[in-house]
Amino acid sequence: MTAHQPLIYVVDDNVSICRALKLLLQAYGFKVETFTKAADFLAYKHPRQQSCLVLDIRLPDIDGLALQEIMAKKGITIPIIFITGHGDIPMSVKTMKAGAIDFLPKPVTKMKLLNAITLAISKSQAQLKKQAEIDKIKRRVKTLSPKELEVFQLVAKGMLSKQIAYKRGTSLQTIKVHRSRVMQKMQAETVTDLIRFAQMAGLTSSQN
Amino acid sequence: MKKKTTISKRLAIGKTKNGEQKRLKGVVAGLRKNRNGLNDKIRKQKNALVKKNGELRNGAEKQVRAEEQIHIRTKAMESAVDGIFIIDAQKQDYPIIYVNQSFQKMTGYQKKEILGQNYFLLYGSEADPQVIEKIKQTIRKEKAYHGETPNYKKDGKKHWNLLRITPVQDARGAITHYVGIQTDVTMMREKQKEIDEQREELLHVTRVGKLAEFVSSLAHEISQPLTSILSYAQAAQRMLADREPKLREILSYIIDDDQRAAEVIHRLRTLLKKSKPDMKQLDINTLINDTVELITTDATVRNVDLKRDFASHLPLVTGDRVQLQQVLLNLISNSFEALESSRDVREISIRTSLQDNDTIRVEVKDTGVGLPVENIPKLFTRFFTSKPDGLGMGLSISRSIIEAHGGRLDVDNNPGSGVTAYFTIPISTKDA
Ligand SMILES: Nc1ncnc2c1ncn2[C@@H]1O[C@H](COP(=O)(O)OP(=O)(O)OP(=O)(O)O)[C@@H](O)[C@H]1O
Ligand SMILES: [Mg+2]
Repeated sequence: MTAHQPLIYVVDDNVSICRALKLLLQAYGFKVETFTKAADFLAYKHPRQQSCLVLDIRLPDIDGLALQEIMAKKGITIPIIFITGHGDIPMSVKTMKAGAIDFLPKPVTKMKLLNAITLAISKSQAQLKKQAEIDKIKRRVKTLSPKELEVFQLVAKGMLSKQIAYKRGTSLQTIKVHRSRVMQKMQAETVTDLIRFAQMAGLTSSQN
Repeated sequence: MKKKTTISKRLAIGKTKNGEQKRLKGVVAGLRKNRNGLNDKIRKQKNALVKKNGELRNGAEKQVRAEEQIHIRTKAMESAVDGIFIIDAQKQDYPIIYVNQSFQKMTGYQKKEILGQNYFLLYGSEADPQVIEKIKQTIRKEKAYHGETPNYKKDGKKHWNLLRITPVQDARGAITHYVGIQTDVTMMREKQKEIDEQREELLHVTRVGKLAEFVSSLAHEISQPLTSILSYAQAAQRMLADREPKLREILSYIIDDDQRAAEVIHRLRTLLKKSKPDMKQLDINTLINDTVELITTDATVRNVDLKRDFASHLPLVTGDRVQLQQVLLNLISNSFEALESSRDVREISIRTSLQDNDTIRVEVKDTGVGLPVENIPKLFTRFFTSKPDGLGMGLSISRSIIEAHGGRLDVDNNPGSGVTAYFTIPISTKDA
């Protein structure tokens, strides 16, 4: 498949706008999927690839703002570009605060749209990269034995080997062995790396 | 009295002299007759005297009473708040022959300056000659006059007079005088003018609000096809790359014109930009009272009974006064319009109540035509109207205002006849 071809989702209840944006964006080399209902977009199985969403703020079923919230809750991180036929300034402020890429009034010119899409795609790319890294870390975590995982978590919490040994009632030597296995399996060079990996894998809360 | 006693004494003495019995009898008879006559006379005289006395006393009393009456009447006229004056209708130039205190105060003229003067001179040189002519003519036709006229005081200050002039007739029906009463209605007129102005302003704001909403919805509708046209043309341009230069030129014209139209809409939108709401703590009952006051005249003209049923001691709400007034006006207007064709009960009742601990509920209930069931789902759609001159904006704009205030607004048929529109609005959280 064409993994390099970013995927643009268009959600607008106006069929003609969906069709026109699809033609335009395809002409600029994007893959395009259109939806006239927010619910259809949510039900769609989003492939993991560079993508962004061009979203009309007023939709009959779930309005744009609500969709933005639902996506955040579901962990769908696709960057959003809002388009609107109304001049809702207060709304634009809200959406931007909630992390939208841009808020474009209709009729949207190709220049503005393509600029926003470029920005959104680069954000998507960064997200994908980060996600890939997380996946990698998670895969490494899976190779740890239960004891190693426990030591990993305690080290990530900032405990010293001595403390861990005391707590576990084992010798310091044993803990040191586990610890070096963890470092090795996790491909960490320093304790700081370990702490960061633990955070990325969701093993500790980022607040320490 | 004294006379009578002496005679009977003498008679009693005569009785005792025996020898002269017979002769005496004759004398006695004569005397008796005489006495009877005398008694009669006395009685008559006495009656006459009593009568005369009574008459005298009556006359005096009557006069006293009449004087009292006149005194009271004069005093009453002098104390009246209204200006009272009397014109002599039998003299050529209708001179004023009486004015009370209030009249002097109202006109600023002293009694001595007024009495004997022609009434109309008092109006001052600035007075509308047409009005004066009308009053004169009415009087000449021996009719009563009633009207509100501007008047000028001695110092030239203008004030408004509610003037009533009525002819006074003598026993034969001839008009001898005119009595006039005038009331200073300047304050009332000013108050009414203020109400009228506020009403106009609210109507205007509401109308502009509806129009703005109408235009912005229209702008939205138009921007949709403009968006797709633009994208179609730009897609086609891209697809052509550098082939078909003529076609590409045409496409660029389409794009230019599309963007020109978009620019018009954009400008329209900036023009219609709503002013920021001015949120304050408000007492909802006062707000409704103020609004209702502005439209009581409309209700009277439409022959609609506007009732109010307020819960007392309601907590304050936070809201934009003008916007909430617009909502009320939209709802009441809808009720007015729904009552237009209904003949029997024409009633609108506005109720306020505490729905729960943190919500106030306001209902506008009418006895109008009601809603056809199939229309109910469409009521809040912009442009939906069943009226020939409706915009179909009233309910949708009202709902968005109420929702911006954190409340809900809905409309439904009553169990009986008519419709109830209601909205809720959250109570202010202590200090805003
Ligand atoms: N109290 C009511 N009784 C009966 N029908 C009503 C009532 N209120 C609203 N409606 C119906 O709902 C429709 C929409 O009302 P709305 O106030 O939104 O628009 P409108 O009154 O038609 O026009 P405008 O924009 O001038 O207010 C009305 O045309 C009418 O059919
Ligand atoms: Mg209306």
